[in-house]
Amino acid sequence: MTDQVAERRGTEKLLIVDADVHVSDTPAALAPYCALPWRKSLEALAQTPARYLDIPGFAPSLKLDPPIPGGHAGRSVRTAAEMRAGLDALDIAVGILFPDNLLLFAPIPQIEYATALAEAYNRWLVEEWLQTEPGLYGALLACPQNPEASAREIARYAGHEKIVAVYLPTAGVNPLWGARKYDPILAAAQAAGLPVALHSVTLVSPAFPCQLDQFENHFARQVLSHSFAMQANLVSLMHTGVPARYPELKIVFTEAGVAWVPYMMWRLDKYHQEYRRMVPFLEKRPSEYMKERMWFATQPVEEPDDPADLVATIGLYDGADRTIFASDWPHHDFDHPKAILKLPLGAETKRKIMGENALALFNIPAPDRESAVG
Amino acid sequence: MAEHLIGPAAEFPPGTHRVVRVRSLEVGVFNVAGRYYALPNVCTHQFGPLCEGTVNGTTACDAATGWRFAWVREGEIVTCPWHGLEFDITTGRCLANPRVRLRSYPVTVEDGQVKLIL
Ligand code: FES
Repeated sequence: MTDQVAERRGTEKLLIVDADVHVSDTPAALAPYCALPWRKSLEALAQTPARYLDIPGFAPSLKLDPPIPGGHAGRSVRTAAEMRAGLDALDIAVGILFPDNLLLFAPIPQIEYATALAEAYNRWLVEEWLQTEPGLYGALLACPQNPEASAREIARYAGHEKIVAVYLPTAGVNPLWGARKYDPILAAAQAAGLPVALHSVTLVSPAFPCQLDQFENHFARQVLSHSFAMQANLVSLMHTGVPARYPELKIVFTEAGVAWVPYMMWRLDKYHQEYRRMVPFLEKRPSEYMKERMWFATQPVEEPDDPADLVATIGLYDGADRTIFASDWPHHDFDHPKAILKLPLGAETKRKIMGENALALFNIPAPDRESAVG
Repeated sequence: MAEHLIGPAAEFPPGTHRVVRVRSLEVGVFNVAGRYYALPNVCTHQFGPLCEGTVNGTTACDAATGWRFAWVREGEIVTCPWHGLEFDITTGRCLANPRVRLRSYPVTVEDGQVKLIL
């Protein structure tokens, strides 16, 4: 690419690491990687037309809305080469891979099936996505339905050079991730040196945030679901002392933007000072744990009329160090890197948010090729 | 610096505290296990009458307690009656945020009399 093109894109010669991109994980793709008898279930599901984020027994969801009249088509990425090309077009050097359909993994009730499905996804991820293309790294799918097996799975992949995080499926998870039944997963992630990444998706379910069915349209559900899920899970992790009980554990919050962070930081601090006796394991203020070992991915980044307002917001939570760029490619509300690069942030802050923070957090070696070069 | 007589130590036993007024200043004086401490009767939070709160202990839960709740520091913690912020009487520090620290005043006992030095 010429400098002029890079300049027009606004990406300049900057290393861009993307904390959240999505691979197309259909039942047909995963079936060969799944243990029997559950492979038979996936083979059967493969016979029915796959609908994105709406596959009974795989991505269970109560889809209430009609397709948007005249709305834009969805996108999915089916191969590592396709992903590499897609990220190249966005000048993104490094991407951390998350699933599509298995964003709805947590509501699956059958424990043995869920366990086998998580193992199949992880096998498939490593085999099909992390072998050939440079700059693609994976997040292991944790299995909240079976924390002990999930902990063993994390230990098995510990040290794999392309596995850099544990994805905690957050949509429809019940109870939320601070519940003590998940301790084995958190302990295993800490022992493996892998950050855990919370990622939600819009769904109508009896789990938190529930009763989203009362809204007339997806617009409302989309506005509330991710952000409430992140806020509620942050509180859940805090209220059982996870950051104190797992003092090395790094926690990443994705797909809820960043403006909720200072609000929750202040709110947690406010009630911590009143109710400290109920959470005495928190030896520091909640905001201190957040500023030490929690990271917040940008997408879908807030777009106030005055971009300086967003920059000020990022400053409120020490965001130069806490924020990591995410595009959510190829999803409908993905952010182009320019959404961040156009902000009136200092050059060093841009470098950190766009790449350096995530490289350090996920312990990824700096790639030779810089995104906008070549 | 001036001394202000609080009263006979014999009438101010361990485990008790009182709020005294000196000029325009309100000060809480505490007897914690035989040692006297004095703190301003103004909470750092929203200026509530901190020293009119109860004095007792607090909870702990960490590796040292096997991550089980324990009751600790009986008699060393004052809790503000307005919103419940806890302060360590012996240091003036807020338990939730130790960077916040009340000033403290010296207290002496001479000839059986408790005196506050301001
Ligand atoms: S004024 Fe003391 S706790 Fe609020």
